[in-house]
Amino acid sequence: MADESKLAPIRKGLLEFLVLKIVGAESMYVPDILRRLAGTEFATQEGTLYPLLSKLRREELVLYEWQESDAGPPRKYYRLTDAGRAQLAALDDYWNRINRTIADIGH
Amino acid sequence: MKRISVTVSLNRSTLQFDDAAYARLDQYLAESASLLEGDPDPQEILGDLEQAVADQCTRRLQPNQAVVTLAELEPALEEIGSVQVPGAAAASGSTARESARPLQQVSEGAVISGVCLGLARYFGLNVTALRIFAVLLLLLSGGGVILVYIALMLLFPYAPLQRGAEPLGWLPARSRAFIEYVRSKFRLATN
Repeated sequence: MADESKLAPIRKGLLEFLVLKIVGAESMYVPDILRRLAGTEFATQEGTLYPLLSKLRREELVLYEWQESDAGPPRKYYRLTDAGRAQLAALDDYWNRINRTIADIGH
Repeated sequence: MKRISVTVSLNRSTLQFDDAAYARLDQYLAESASLLEGDPDPQEILGDLEQAVADQCTRRLQPNQAVVTLAELEPALEEIGSVQVPGAAAASGSTARESARPLQQVSEGAVISGVCLGLARYFGLNVTALRIFAVLLLLLSGGGVILVYIALMLLFPYAPLQRGAEPLGWLPARSRAFIEYVRSKFRLATN
């Protein structure tokens, strides 16, 4: 197993990309996003996700809508804005280019 | 007569907490607020966290249980985790975040309440020199410094306790508990 301290910053940097990807697929509230990430390398917590979503909302990449729930108070459902969709496409493209570079280099 | 529980309004939910759970929650939210110092929109995030606490505690209550205790709150806070500011750790590790922190009292290694230690960390001073200076001031001012110290105790938030650190000394632990008690009373009175 590689040194965790080398891997953590990579995951941290990619979390934003993954969150954009998740709310890009369908609009979701935070417990759903956490469930989607649980069991992956990117499993995270509300304490991390809410500040990140707040930042993404300020950058106008995501927005949320209140939806009534059967149990308890209304929930915030997050989804991508048009700018968020463009950002996600750019990140996806960049990620693919990086992957190709990593695969090709050193051969 | 004994007060059994406190009614706490958490964003869009209302729950009953016992005193110990209330004090712990108050501490968690104060720590979160101090970690979000510098965030342009801390109120939104704190509101979201309050709602997360309410949801998690509600889920953990037994069917006939009305009051949230530490038994529900601790695992709930564990699952929510402490606030991670996006980009902070990526920028240049913990040092960038430390220096962005506000003036705080530091309980670990404190003599009284951690005011000198907090000031020394914030301004990058030698804490022993600062303490000697404070004692000198105390002698010269004829005790006026004590009032200033107490004012700073009430004013400066406490730095979050480090996990796995040594237990606090008698006086730092008492003064921290006392100040948190005073603050919670004050907050209840103003609500």
